[in-house]
Amino acid sequence: MQYKSQAVATPYFIAAIGLFAGQILFGIVLGLQYVLGDFLFPAIPFNIARMVHTNLLIVWLLFGFMGAAYYMIPEESETELFSPKLAIALFWIFLVAGALTIVGYLAVPYATLAQLTGNDLLATMGREFLEQPLPTKLGIVVVALAFLFNITMTVLKGRKTSISIVMLLGLWGLAVFFLFSFYNPANIVLDKFFWWWVVHLWVEGVWELILGAMLSFVLIKVTGVDREVIEKWLYVIVTMTLISGIIGTGHHFYWIGAPEYWQWWGSIFSALEPIPFFALTVFAFNMVNRRRREHPNKAAVLWALGTGVMSFLGAGVWGFLHTLAPVNYYTHGTQITAAHGHMAFYGAYVMVVLTMISYAMPILRGRAANSNKAQVLEMWSFWLMTVAMVFITLFLTAAGILQVWLQRVSESPLPFMVAQDQISLFYWLREGSGVVFLIGLLCYIASFFVRGEEKTA
Amino acid sequence: MSGAFSKSMARNIFFGGTAFFFFLFLALTFDTIQQYPKRDMRQNITPQVAAGKHIWETRNCVGCHTLMGEGAYFAPELANVVARLGSKEAVKAFIQSRPVEGIPGRRSMPQFNLTEEELDAIAAFLEHVNTINDANWPPNVQG
Amino acid sequence: MSTASPASPASGPVNAPQPAFPTEDSGASRRRLPGDLAVWFFILAELLAFAVFFLSYAFARARDVALFNASQLTLDLNAGAINTLLLVTSSWFVVRAIQAVKRDDKAGGVRWLAAAMLGGFGFLVVKVFEYAAKFDAGITLSTNTFYMFYISLTFFHFMHVILGLVILGVLLANTWRGAYGRDAYHVLESGGAYWHMVDLLWIILFPLVYVMR
Repeated sequence: MQYKSQAVATPYFIAAIGLFAGQILFGIVLGLQYVLGDFLFPAIPFNIARMVHTNLLIVWLLFGFMGAAYYMIPEESETELFSPKLAIALFWIFLVAGALTIVGYLAVPYATLAQLTGNDLLATMGREFLEQPLPTKLGIVVVALAFLFNITMTVLKGRKTSISIVMLLGLWGLAVFFLFSFYNPANIVLDKFFWWWVVHLWVEGVWELILGAMLSFVLIKVTGVDREVIEKWLYVIVTMTLISGIIGTGHHFYWIGAPEYWQWWGSIFSALEPIPFFALTVFAFNMVNRRRREHPNKAAVLWALGTGVMSFLGAGVWGFLHTLAPVNYYTHGTQITAAHGHMAFYGAYVMVVLTMISYAMPILRGRAANSNKAQVLEMWSFWLMTVAMVFITLFLTAAGILQVWLQRVSESPLPFMVAQDQISLFYWLREGSGVVFLIGLLCYIASFFVRGEEKTA
Repeated sequence: MSGAFSKSMARNIFFGGTAFFFFLFLALTFDTIQQYPKRDMRQNITPQVAAGKHIWETRNCVGCHTLMGEGAYFAPELANVVARLGSKEAVKAFIQSRPVEGIPGRRSMPQFNLTEEELDAIAAFLEHVNTINDANWPPNVQG
Repeated sequence: MSTASPASPASGPVNAPQPAFPTEDSGASRRRLPGDLAVWFFILAELLAFAVFFLSYAFARARDVALFNASQLTLDLNAGAINTLLLVTSSWFVVRAIQAVKRDDKAGGVRWLAAAMLGGFGFLVVKVFEYAAKFDAGITLSTNTFYMFYISLTFFHFMHVILGLVILGVLLANTWRGAYGRDAYHVLESGGAYWHMVDLLWIILFPLVYVMR
């Protein structure tokens, strides 16, 4: 590691992996509840488990992004972090706030939690992905601002690279758009419209800047390709992302009370959304093919290439599959959406954070790369998790197609629960894939403890 | 074909293009907000409907159900539930009658112990949502 | 796409004897891409967005020809025609500006760019009057499918004209400062290419939405 203060990234990465494991455990519970409806009922009803599953995902990705920023920014800026102490303090604040929130979800009924945490003063809870109590939401804002202050000051006092600029823009955008989570009017139509300003403009907007910056950073390091080349392609790709993705928000406005022209605007621009993901894939492979060095960390290269391919499949292909309004009319709010959501989040954000961790952790632990044995295990975990996710997506897609047919298209549409019973086979198969995913994750965690001959830089 | 490909040009286009499309998005948002009074039935949002939305949120209904297709896919769509069950009374009766320990082997909805007033509110909210002009979605009454 | 070179033919048919492209390295008669590759990626992306939009228009029109034909009659053909003339002329002015700068004729460059911007502003003024008439008549994006496309396409293009004018303004200021010349017209060409695209899009849009029945 080139700068001492990069070490603050370590706890962030460890926490990220720990929370990732929690997320997957709850995923397994949810998958089981899909087929054994009374599993853990009424102790942990589905809605609570799902909230834990999705909130843990968001929180651990944020840990990953922050850790990545703390690792990348000093190296990019060629200077020590503005305040490592602040970074460590924020880590503990964020971790404790996150843990308390999860405990709150599990320990008391949600309505009680809302009452205890001042939801009656400013009602923000109970909307998908934004279920956090008010103090947690405020905490996220405070932590984000202090974090951004730390990172921005570091960039300002050092070298300003394109990767830093894109990363900063993504992180600032993340904080700014989160502010819409405090807007919750009694009018559900307005509520839903601006809810997407958080959710869509995060995952199909500013998060993709973070993704692009992180991937570019790792690619420069592991391929040795000229920074100039990588950075200009980064700009081209993120430009494509935003020109398709911003208006692409429209694909969420088809059936939630918004004017019907969004069916055209949303379809047209989201039809272009796969392009930047395809470009990202081509970019990653091209840079690796043009590599000027053989980096000893083969696992990190694998993760980087995997991010390109899986984000294209999950976000690009599976997104396009149901993004056109006439198709979406039938698929909206079915397992098709779930299939896309799973693969897109895994392929884009989970994998890019794991790419960064895979690259940075060995260096933070004082070596250029892990031992061959550890890397082999890590690559096993890559293939187990990735293939398992492909199957989860395929089974959910099959379930979704059947659901659409039985419940919405056929001559005599079946009630929701009747249709669900008919497709339970696919839910069982999905649960099986989920278990394989968990095994992959356990291999991943184990790879950190495998010793063997380590390569020094 | 040879030609220059410079980072500064790529950067300027990134900033310019992003600003451009964000302004366009703002313009469309502005028009959307202008159109909303014709579609969102805001004249029917009584204090009771607003209280019902609050019940909807504090019971985390969206953690299992969808509302206009958004939410979790574990339980039925509720934007048209009043139409599906026939009346507000039927909706209230359903919520009220959920067994505390669930139904063995099946997915079941928790017993939220709502008061009569709260039941009226959530039913009023769901009835309101059913009247919103959402471009004829869902395709049929099953949701 | 046949639209790959709105800029190069424009600089071709100059009757002056000098070569259209600087051919110092004419030994290898390679074709040079005018402007920056980055701008061409952007132009390609924009053309793609418009292409999908145009196709959607064609698709929607085919499903309701009667409505489209009836609504189309309410459009102001004269305003559209004047605007076509304004943009095409403006595009030609940009070509002249680039040629002037390539001769190190700074004053000429500034003059031609100013003229080009005037054309662009003229387009905006005509368009604003056209919109005012439509909005006064109570027409919105939600009136019917034809007007949805009419307003969407023309407004999307309208914003491109504004962006184009901002770009021309920057180019004008830089030319004024003497930033461009015989050996430095790369940025100027990039901006010019963008302006030609804005022109080209209108040349497709106008017949498609206003004229074709």
